[in-house]
Amino acid sequence: MKNKRSYTEELSARQILELDACTQCGECLKHCPVQDVTGNPSVSPPEKIRMFREFIRSTDGLKATLFGPGEADRKRLEDFTKALYECTTCGACGQNCPVGIFSQRLWPVLRKEMVKRGLGPLGVQAQMPGAILRSGNPYDKPASERYKPWLPENVRIAERADIAYYAGCTGAYEAQPMVRGDVLVLNAIGEPFTMLPPDEEVCCGFPLFITGQHDMLKDLVARLVNGYAARDVKTLVCSCPCCVNIMARDWPAFYGKELPFKIRHITQYVSDAIKRGKLRVNKELRESVIYHDPCYLSRGVGVIEEPRAVLRSIPGVKLLEFEHHGLNSRCCGSGGAARKVYHENAIAMGRLTIDEAVAKKADRLVLSCPACYAKVNEAMQGYKNQIRITDIMELVSGLITEQEKT
Amino acid sequence: MGKILILAAYVVYASFWARFFTHFLVWLRAAHRRDRGGAAFSRASGQVCVLTAADVFLFARVLDVNPALWVGEWSFHASFLLVLLRHLRYFLTPIPAWVWWMQVPGLIAGYILPVSLLYILFVRLLTKQEKFTSPMNLFLLGLVLAISSIGVLMYTLFKPDLIDVKLFMVGILSGAPTPAPESLLFLLHFSLVLVLVPFLPTHIITSPLVMIEARKREQGLHLVMHEK
Repeated sequence: MKNKRSYTEELSARQILELDACTQCGECLKHCPVQDVTGNPSVSPPEKIRMFREFIRSTDGLKATLFGPGEADRKRLEDFTKALYECTTCGACGQNCPVGIFSQRLWPVLRKEMVKRGLGPLGVQAQMPGAILRSGNPYDKPASERYKPWLPENVRIAERADIAYYAGCTGAYEAQPMVRGDVLVLNAIGEPFTMLPPDEEVCCGFPLFITGQHDMLKDLVARLVNGYAARDVKTLVCSCPCCVNIMARDWPAFYGKELPFKIRHITQYVSDAIKRGKLRVNKELRESVIYHDPCYLSRGVGVIEEPRAVLRSIPGVKLLEFEHHGLNSRCCGSGGAARKVYHENAIAMGRLTIDEAVAKKADRLVLSCPACYAKVNEAMQGYKNQIRITDIMELVSGLITEQEKT
Repeated sequence: MGKILILAAYVVYASFWARFFTHFLVWLRAAHRRDRGGAAFSRASGQVCVLTAADVFLFARVLDVNPALWVGEWSFHASFLLVLLRHLRYFLTPIPAWVWWMQVPGLIAGYILPVSLLYILFVRLLTKQEKFTSPMNLFLLGLVLAISSIGVLMYTLFKPDLIDVKLFMVGILSGAPTPAPESLLFLLHFSLVLVLVPFLPTHIITSPLVMIEARKREQGLHLVMHEK
């Protein structure tokens, strides 16, 4: 049976203009991390846009308007879907687009369209809604294990507070040194903070959003927002850039109104605490460290200076920069849930990050994203180039005195 | 031959507007659909307008990402526009004064146009840093190169009868076609333009709108997670 649904139904007016505005110049390919490791232009941004224009023509073109919608070729739809999900959605293409297409937003919306057509998501990505429904997280790990392995007993968690900390699923289950560092630093700052009980701190919705599976999002967001609102939270702090991105950009839309609290990345909160004299990093670290900007933190929500301010506050540290940093940072390979399906690409991209950090003679690669943390560590296993990988709060928590930690 | 060209001109003209109208319908149907996650997009401030004007008229974004290509792209688009304006003298009666003013700049642009296209093709095809060249873009570049080169040949070596040309063009526009000029080069030039029109890229219309949104978004990025 023909699917007469228009290919433009999920697109906003701006996104339809964006599809038309692509000049197919190919500048974006020079900045695409997937191109760096695959060299395959058929999965490139201009090719995806060209194919999607074809699909739009099949339902909304002149012929379709006159004689009724046609059917796009199934094989081409499948190829397009694969290309769409191979993308890490890092947004570097859009950042360097001569027209200014907001690709970090466009690709997830096209993925949603493919989900509606039964073509996406791919592989294990399809298991995420079920896992989240069962256990509250996309890894299908028990909620009872969400905090237990890493939350130090001496960290005081308030029942209610102005500040709340959201650990996030990837941090809690896959990058535990990172979330442990977060709570140690929050504790050292000394301002009371609260957390939801482990069975109430469910997925923020980002993995579902980014893979185009939007059905559960409204419920998840309402559950979390109401949970924090009930604890009188005024500021929700989180260290995961993907969580922070969906919280700041999309939660209000899914919640249906403005959030009753503001969202802050942990580096924002900590750099502010350092400025206010609430936190002091006392121990010296005589090292050259290189900081990798997570795509959804830098290009996504514009948090670029604060992680650097935190690192500069460490006595003795020399801060190095990647050639592509800040708004132009290069994806480490773990974005867009592509790592779950295109594992080899993710490892190869992670290794490019390691290679550059080693070439710059950094003693340590500092990250501030749990997905980056997990994947770059994995990429380093058995690799010729080795470097010490540390999360930014893991690093800071190790450099504040024991007295401040407790 | 002349009758076929006249018929083709009407078909191309009609299909151009039909294509534009279909696109317009798609845009119209989506007009009410707002962006999610766009809460922090700022309004079009003075700074946004200035930056967008630089993007549209000076191709500032292309300059940012590829200065080598920018030289060719800006020269091509600017000279293409001037040449088009110069050509208005074949379509308008009486010819407005500003079209006369365009004759000398348009003439100079007529020489720059094929050179800029050759330069773009050189950068696209022969330099190592270019990873991707769209076959459609290559086709269009080749087509415009052929049209503009023929134009130069007609101006310098094989001049057609300009009165015949004007009568032919005005005849088509007024719905009372006259016989086509006998110049073979003109017939080729005109035929290639008819081939070009259906392939004219839509970014001519939509990219300025996308550019202003991009500048608004860039200006508003800091507000997503920071206080005003």
